[in-house]
Amino acid sequence: MSVRWQRRTHGVSVRQEKIDPMTVRLFALSIAIISVLMALYLALTASSVRLSVRLWSLHNEMAEIQRENGRLGTEIARLSSIPVLIERSVRLGYGQPESIEYLIVGGP
Amino acid sequence: MLRGPDARLRLVTGLLSLAVLIILAQLVRLQVVDRELYLPKIEQLQQRPYTLPMPPSGVILDRNGDLLVGNLPIYDVGAEVNLVGNVTTTLRVAHRLSATLGMSPEALFDLLNYEPIPGDENRTVWRPLARGLGPDVVEDIKSLQREGWWWLTLQPKWERYYAEGDLACYTLGFVNMEGHGYGIEAFQQRLLRPVVTDARGPVTIGHVPMAEELALGKLRVYPGTDLVLTLDRTIQAFVEGELRRALLEYGAASGTILVMDPRTGALLASASLPCYEPYAYANYSQTDRTRFTDPAVSQTYEPGSVLKVITVAAALDSGSITPDWSYYDSGRIEYGGILITNSDRQAHGWQNLQGLLDSSLNVGAATLAAHHMGATEFYSYIRAFGFGQAMGVGVANEERGIVHLPEDYRWTDSYLVTNSFGQGIAMTPLQLAASVSALANHGVIMAPYLVAERRYPDGNVVSTVPHRWSKEPPISPETADFVAELMVNTVDRRYTRAVVPGYRVGGKTGTSQIPIAGGYSPSEVITSFVAFAPWPDPEVLVLVKLDRPQNERHLRWGTQTAAPVFSQMAGRLFTLLGIPPTDFIAESQR
Repeated sequence: MSVRWQRRTHGVSVRQEKIDPMTVRLFALSIAIISVLMALYLALTASSVRLSVRLWSLHNEMAEIQRENGRLGTEIARLSSIPVLIERSVRLGYGQPESIEYLIVGGP
Repeated sequence: MLRGPDARLRLVTGLLSLAVLIILAQLVRLQVVDRELYLPKIEQLQQRPYTLPMPPSGVILDRNGDLLVGNLPIYDVGAEVNLVGNVTTTLRVAHRLSATLGMSPEALFDLLNYEPIPGDENRTVWRPLARGLGPDVVEDIKSLQREGWWWLTLQPKWERYYAEGDLACYTLGFVNMEGHGYGIEAFQQRLLRPVVTDARGPVTIGHVPMAEELALGKLRVYPGTDLVLTLDRTIQAFVEGELRRALLEYGAASGTILVMDPRTGALLASASLPCYEPYAYANYSQTDRTRFTDPAVSQTYEPGSVLKVITVAAALDSGSITPDWSYYDSGRIEYGGILITNSDRQAHGWQNLQGLLDSSLNVGAATLAAHHMGATEFYSYIRAFGFGQAMGVGVANEERGIVHLPEDYRWTDSYLVTNSFGQGIAMTPLQLAASVSALANHGVIMAPYLVAERRYPDGNVVSTVPHRWSKEPPISPETADFVAELMVNTVDRRYTRAVVPGYRVGGKTGTSQIPIAGGYSPSEVITSFVAFAPWPDPEVLVLVKLDRPQNERHLRWGTQTAAPVFSQMAGRLFTLLGIPPTDFIAESQR
């Protein structure tokens, strides 16, 4: 009786192949490395996005401060403009140069 | 029929390999073969345009650092009206916003109400609600956005702010929305305007560009360059006040006063009236566009007798005459087919150069040009003094003036004699002031300038170095000093109304006719006076010009109008400039 006949008539149990432990370790290691790399990439991307948002908000904050600076600058200019200075001076009792009359007092 | 595990394994491996190969082939096709086809599509998916808010333009300061033109932040408010809500909500929003935006609820409701077209409900529709609002609305709008009205938009902008109102309006000028304008604002707009470039690149979900994008520096944002002018706002305001008073006193239609330092060419004041409000230029544009051109640098006039000092200086410097030259004034001279007479129609007998200037004799000036110098010599000096050429002061629309030269086909001999006393030749007040500054500055014309300093946003400061207008001075120092001395004597002897107590002043008046179609206006004139002080080391040169004074007809002369204006303002002007009286100097040197 040939082996072939024996298989057909009696069946053959499934061969229990042995998995090489080294292969498993290598596979697990590669999965771990890929996972770490992916996690690192995600962390880097997230950090980059956070940084971008922060940088962008700083740019906008700077623009906001420039606007506030501009507003204050124009307000200072308005308050120290010649018409306002004249108005305040008159209110404080100062006279216009052409309205001043000098009194010459003779010496003793 | 596959039999056995090995065969099935081979089949699965083969199919997987085929799948991998197909994927690889597709990858190669997408990324290599059809790269150009897909790249724009991918970029469109990944990248978005982004930019930053506009930084401010450069400011304009006077020589003491006081603000003349600054930037005021303003805001435009808008809304994505498709997101506002139903009619009831829109009504509530309109009522709530009306106080903040200063608009009626009805007008706001009209703007906010949006009926979407069926089938197009998801379309974003943005409408402007109010423009040019002050910074006080920002907090209101932001708090409304926090409350859930995030569809409200706030667009920051900048508006030019003229700190002193219409002071030095012509010199400062403006630039309209199309980039056209007048004055320094227009001439220096490439420096003043900020630089903002749009960029395109990968952005986050919130449309924020990635950090590495910003690090690449694709987005260029620079504020404008600040300019420091030679103008002094106090002197400018004072001079404008004096000019305003002069226009009222003499009923003149308009006028110009220039104050410059002849030693450097720096313009300390450039006043022309009537002025306009540069911050409201749009109010004028439809009706009165000519109002924007600076009469000091963009409008020409025939200077009249003031030009006699140039004729005398040219005749002396060319060697055509000597300082002790004299002539017999018969009251008339015929040359080039025309008859020239003195303004008083009188004969003045024997006269020297001092007498020529004292009595402002047309016949004397014509004699110098026609009988002693000749056209070639005379016009070479006219060119050397800068007439017919731009002075390059640095404002938009600068005029060159009109000088008819012998090589022009329209030129005739008569031009030589009329030009010698300032007729038939047109120049700007600035050109005249600059030419006379050569007499006050030992023969050298310094290039007139207005921008003393440029302050770049990177911190660099570039100062303007005063320099000569031309390589070669038009006349020698000896000639300049001699003619200037004649001018000082003229003021002492003849222009009593131009005298400034305590100071030695040199000057010359001019009364010029106004050309009209077919000749000159029979009644209207332009009167002027140009002066420098304190002699012998002039620190300031002043030109006063009054157009069409309407005082008594026999008093419409430079000596009766422009000279007194100078005299009235000079004392205080010298005090403001810190120029001590000449008498005081002479006293202290004794």
